Amino acid sequence: MEPILPQLKPIPIKDRLSVLFVEKGQLDVLDGAFVLVDKTGVRTHIPVGGVACLMLEPGTRVSHAAATLASRVGCLLVWVGEAGVRLYSAGQPGGARADRLLYQAKLALDDTARLKVVRKMYEMRFKEKPPERRSVEQLRGIEGARVRKMYDLLARQYKVPWKKRNYDHTEWGSGDVPNRCLSSATACLYGICEAAILAAGYAPAVGFIHTGKPQSFVYDIADIFKFETVVPVAFKIAAKKPHNPERQVRLACRDAFRQTRLLNRIIPTIEQVLTAGEMQVPKAHEEAVDIAIPNKEEIGDAGHRG
Amino acid sequence: MLVIVVENAPPRLRGRLALWLLEVRAGVYVGKVSRRIRDMIWDNVEKGIDDGNAVMVWSTNTESGFDFVTLGANRRIPKEMEGIKLVSFLPEISSGYSPDFE
Repeated sequence: MEPILPQLKPIPIKDRLSVLFVEKGQLDVLDGAFVLVDKTGVRTHIPVGGVACLMLEPGTRVSHAAATLASRVGCLLVWVGEAGVRLYSAGQPGGARADRLLYQAKLALDDTARLKVVRKMYEMRFKEKPPERRSVEQLRGIEGARVRKMYDLLARQYKVPWKKRNYDHTEWGSGDVPNRCLSSATACLYGICEAAILAAGYAPAVGFIHTGKPQSFVYDIADIFKFETVVPVAFKIAAKKPHNPERQVRLACRDAFRQTRLLNRIIPTIEQVLTAGEMQVPKAHEEAVDIAIPNKEEIGDAGHRG
Repeated sequence: MLVIVVENAPPRLRGRLALWLLEVRAGVYVGKVSRRIRDMIWDNVEKGIDDGNAVMVWSTNTESGFDFVTLGANRRIPKEMEGIKLVSFLPEISSGYSPDFE
């Protein structure tokens, strides 16, 4: 039988809300809608089709149908730990574009190209060109010093007691309030960046500055936006010494993402950074077999499976 | 701003609409989407409305500041009057002509 409703397709990341946090309840699909059912039976509809990533806090269960639906509309499900520290992430079938993956890998494997990409990342981040003739290693040293200085400066600006960025990922409560606010805020940013990277068709694991983690490229991209979005937000909230800092941080992060139009900028920024490597997108090899079934017109981003 | 109101719509369509929009009252969906997405959503409504009826309203730069389209049978019919879209309200068929100030 022909399905009655049109096939579900993801919509572009830039047309979505940034993040939604969900806690305590069973995520399920009822009449084709994505719902959170709590223990009293109350249903909350979640417009997953219009959200870049859904953060699942402890106490959520996800049905098979819900995970399927989330992936079909291209919403990244991120399982986060207490107060938004990432535990695990999956849900959106990304990396659906071999050409983009090969392009990213080609840039990452070529030392000159990688250096150019890294330089572009620093340039976008600090709004000025890094000094000439430096290796990636030297750039990282320069970056480390600048980042420490920026933390100090922002902490002073928002009158927050600041020693250093410090977090024990095994024990949440161990950090001081500014550090906890920062962890919570960066978790939000990482979620969105990962959703955008997957949506654009790239691999989150292939980093240029960072390496060795499933989210290396996510950290690379998130760092570009970190000091204009989440760091000021985290310090501003920390300075108020609120009762529930994590919640306050999230609300403020959403505002910051909206004000900086982050979701509109993030995929173009990824492209811009990679273009700096000055390499051509690799062509398919000559013996490659062409696609048997032509691609349908999509409204989602390049890496969405539609 | 986008508002869709459906009446007598099958549950699968109502569930589908809740994927992108917020159902603030039974059958009333609200959101803010781009033109492309709006067309895509309306395509879903067209395919899934069955015997029900629907109206979609969105803000745009017309003189009234919005525009709308309808689908299915309803006593309220869109009517174009000198470039402004209005709505005429049909009387009930059974009782013959009786002015209805409902």
